[in-house]
Amino acid sequence: MPGRDNEAGGLLCRREISNGDHPLCLGNGSIWNQYFKEAMRNILLLFAKLNPAIGYVQGMNEVLAPLYYVFRMNQEGEDASEAEADSFECFVQLLSGSVDHFCQQLDNSSVGIHSTLLHFSELLKANDGELWRHLDASKLLIELGMFTFYMQMNPQFYAFRWITLLLTQEFELSSIMRIWDYLLSNPSGVQEVLLRVCCAMLLCVRHELVCGDFISNLKLLQHYPEVDLEHVLDVASHLKTPVSSYQPYSII
Amino acid sequence: MAAYRADEEYDYLFKVVLIGDAGVGKTNLLSRFARDEFSFETKSTIGVEFATRTIHVDGKLIKAQIWDTAGQDRYRAITSAYYRGSVGALVVFDLSRRVTFENTARWLQELRSHTDPNIVVMLVGNKADLRHIRAVSVEEAQAFARKEKAFFTETSALESINVADAFTGVLTQIYHVVGRKVLAIGDDPSALPIGQTINIDMKDDRQAANKAGCC
Repeated sequence: MPGRDNEAGGLLCRREISNGDHPLCLGNGSIWNQYFKEAMRNILLLFAKLNPAIGYVQGMNEVLAPLYYVFRMNQEGEDASEAEADSFECFVQLLSGSVDHFCQQLDNSSVGIHSTLLHFSELLKANDGELWRHLDASKLLIELGMFTFYMQMNPQFYAFRWITLLLTQEFELSSIMRIWDYLLSNPSGVQEVLLRVCCAMLLCVRHELVCGDFISNLKLLQHYPEVDLEHVLDVASHLKTPVSSYQPYSII
Repeated sequence: MAAYRADEEYDYLFKVVLIGDAGVGKTNLLSRFARDEFSFETKSTIGVEFATRTIHVDGKLIKAQIWDTAGQDRYRAITSAYYRGSVGALVVFDLSRRVTFENTARWLQELRSHTDPNIVVMLVGNKADLRHIRAVSVEEAQAFARKEKAFFTETSALESINVADAFTGVLTQIYHVVGRKVLAIGDDPSALPIGQTINIDMKDDRQAANKAGCC
């Protein structure tokens, strides 16, 4: 782990990872904050130094938090630095198949986020063409002076965050852990299974989406409602794979 | 055809973007305006989030569709795609952190390269509750705003000071500009959403947006 004042590299200042970035923060005086803050910063700082092309990207903290939580809770009374080291290692492993989603320079490459979003869209189309067409046709009328034009629904508006952060901003911690169990235990690999879960999330609110317009659909998907999680995972398990099968690289 | 559904009456729908450095309080400004909420533990915005609120101006119902964007550099390429079609922008800085004010020049430049030059811009110095550690004077920010042909105000999302005024100020101004038909897409096709189907529909101002329905 890096030294506490090891900021000289100029890649990332400690203050750039704010308390507000701490997903388990329950106020400055909370035990969570006191115990977790320093370790989380250490891990993210080291990751940024080892991956200078990517650095620290907002949201990485959300991906790290469930890992650190699990290790910290399982090492009660032991040296907390082990939890720090273990979660660092797992964080690197977990992101190994998708770290390029955090990299702006790769956005439009075959490993970038846009390519993944396209595969996500293909997966939905293969499993529910009608819903796919409905979402694709959702348009928003915009006034621009004497002109009006339409803005089309794009999976990027909601699924960008779902995929990049492995659903950590969409659910409570206990649900995130259940979903991650599912992602990590599936031999197809985290990224492919993640896309299936995201697709299942759409199918599980299908009725609302089909009845909704652009604005209500976007609000629904940006604030995903409470649903029966086991049902979502069950739907994900039974999805068809599109003909042009997506083969993301992943070592988990 | 378009699945657009006018389930709420309004006369105009305006798209407004919230931009500025990470941590200046964009998300809390929006949550204060849209839902009268404030959170000390707001999570970082990843990509874009949006909210709507309808206000009255001159007896007209104006629905604001506000796109809140991520402030961190990595997300810029992703979020600048959402600038297109916006008729107003709030460029936010944290008045207790000078660098966030200095960076507004870059945000404005980026905004103008993606939108109509007549877009209504308001420079917003947020976190006015931290005035005791202020790093940017009102005069300096005002002078900069004048130079950039932008409006200027200071707000506190925490203490709910001036937040509604900032948004309604921008919306009212847009309404007046649209009334004068000053805004136009012009010859610049980049002002339109890239890779998306555009249905341009010349129509009279008196026709309400929601009445146009789908083309």
